[in-house]
Amino acid sequence: MAGMSPSERRLQKELMSLMKEPPPGVSVDVDLAEQNLLQWTVHMEGVTGTLYEGERFQLQFKFTNKYPFDSPEVTFIGNNIPVHPHVYSNGHICLSILTDDWSPALSVQSVCLSIVSMLSSCKEKKRPSDNAFYVKTCSKNPKKTKWWYHDDSV
Amino acid sequence: MGNCFKRATTDDLSLLRGSDSIRETFSNQLGSSPYQEALTVQSISPVYNPSPSVTSLVTQLTEEEQVKIAKRIGLIQHLPTGTYDGSKKARECVICMAEFIVGDAVRYLPCMHTYHMRCIDDWLMRSLTCPSCMEPVDAALLTSYETN
Repeated sequence: MAGMSPSERRLQKELMSLMKEPPPGVSVDVDLAEQNLLQWTVHMEGVTGTLYEGERFQLQFKFTNKYPFDSPEVTFIGNNIPVHPHVYSNGHICLSILTDDWSPALSVQSVCLSIVSMLSSCKEKKRPSDNAFYVKTCSKNPKKTKWWYHDDSV
Repeated sequence: MGNCFKRATTDDLSLLRGSDSIRETFSNQLGSSPYQEALTVQSISPVYNPSPSVTSLVTQLTEEEQVKIAKRIGLIQHLPTGTYDGSKKARECVICMAEFIVGDAVRYLPCMHTYHMRCIDDWLMRSLTCPSCMEPVDAALLTSYETN
């Protein structure tokens, strides 16, 4: 761990613990993360008994070297973007802990658990009502979106 | 609260002097903020975060932001510090995820959560909240002043 910046040291620790004790249905692509510690791909399975049972998703985490003071940029990638009222078809996620409510005590693991729980509590598979407009006009980086968190129920 | 701020002297920036232990000096990390895109960042001017997602060079801060940051520095300096002696329950700093080592400089927040001083100061300069319980640090401090 010598010669690493504080953010690299913390990411390395998180990677090790996520590798050893991943939350159920979550796995990190360790090879990719070791090639570039600032960009991870996380695989996520839809939980049994929920609307997403049997589906597989991919999440991308991008970190800056100010992590964990700066929140990670988290988006769904790949060809299966979950259909959910808080997930835009371009993979952007409307989740307050990813911007306004971020805290350096949160981690990749806690973000994954929040997303699993956000998906699991969904009652109806649908896109956000402003999906078409948002996807056309948004920045590539969801952290530049001024999110308006209006609904805590799903 | 009368004596917790550095006294202003002549120029606008003086409010932010004398706080080297707290301020950050990132030299080439400004590309991520939308407010920074027009800048060529070669300078090593101190960088502040008036709010968690906004990064500004000291020279770009509005007067209001300078006052806000100066107040913040004053508040942080009033939070108790100490040296980790191995007797506390907290074993790990949740910010860097490293275990405390006897002799580490730590800071105690009013909610009793403990962090490495360098880790928590970096966060408090962005947001005056406890990372673990989200308790606002300034409100708790003001309450403790009132009750004393």
